[in-house]
Amino acid sequence: MEFGIMRTVNPQEIAQLYQFTRAHFVEYYDLQTELVDHLANDMEVIWQKQPKLSFEQARDASFKKFGVFGFMDVVGERQKAMTKRYMTYLWQEFRQWLTLPKLAITLCLFLVFYTAFSSPFVPLFLVLVFGYHAVWSIYKSVILRKRFKSRRENTSKKWMLEEMIFKQAGGAALLLMSQLPTWYNLSGAYLSNPTLVIGISLFTTVFSIYMYVSFELLPNKAEELLNQTYPEYSM
Amino acid sequence: MANSKLYKGSLVTIILRLLKENEKMYGYEITQKVKQITQGELQITEGALYPALHKLEAQGLLDVDVQKVGNRLRKYYKLTPQGQKETHSKLQELQAYIKTMQVLVNPKWSLES
Repeated sequence: MEFGIMRTVNPQEIAQLYQFTRAHFVEYYDLQTELVDHLANDMEVIWQKQPKLSFEQARDASFKKFGVFGFMDVVGERQKAMTKRYMTYLWQEFRQWLTLPKLAITLCLFLVFYTAFSSPFVPLFLVLVFGYHAVWSIYKSVILRKRFKSRRENTSKKWMLEEMIFKQAGGAALLLMSQLPTWYNLSGAYLSNPTLVIGISLFTTVFSIYMYVSFELLPNKAEELLNQTYPEYSM
Repeated sequence: MANSKLYKGSLVTIILRLLKENEKMYGYEITQKVKQITQGELQITEGALYPALHKLEAQGLLDVDVQKVGNRLRKYYKLTPQGQKETHSKLQELQAYIKTMQVLVNPKWSLES
């Protein structure tokens, strides 16, 4: 068999493939990179058999293999996998608060909440504690979004984990916070039930640590986590 | 092409098995290798491969490495120690499944043994 010089994807075409993935709703750089390499490899194999195909024809032939939904399945599943990864990082940080030395702080926090919620001023303390959390989390969300925006201005590359760290911090907490009025209305009942006082103090302790980890600790470790997750982050 | 529904459940085992043999591989290489080994009988679809790889990575069974190859970046996958253990048990599971299916599909075999 006789072959001419094997057609390969050139640097300009690589840039065009990145644009192509963006046009097909792949916003994140790591996924774009993987898909660009896949398309380029496949196109080069296609060109071996059909050397006369244009760049666009070879690209479309390769893209067709991803099925009717294109890259959408890949993006959706990547989101699920990265959420799991984010939760793992959250848990790794959180579990340090269950072992010494940080366990001491956790216990102190629990005792403070227990004392407050055992007093006759439960409704007041509930409003104070959760009101403080609400204000703090809104303030931190604004700060984190600003930080995220300035990071994005310095680079055109978008990372899924970075977005989760900076934009989804404390997401579950904000939902819980919306239940504050219900908590307040029920607070009278807590006074009479010691088990509920322990329960609510425990919950508040866990909640406070979760907020601190997601709004403060993880964003501060963003660079380290991004480097750990994406080998191409610093390339 | 083989019935995709039949091998869907084995995709993870196929990936792990290939990585056990080849140390590190990239996505396209996996699709081509499967095609080559099975002489085109089995073709891993792109839409199924990457979600499976990303899931295994999130589970800590695979580790990733990115290298510049020519004018582009290439993401390689390799087994973590946990992934190696999982490969072993997944292969055993699949072998047991194949044995059961053989008995079901060809009941004579079970009488002979």
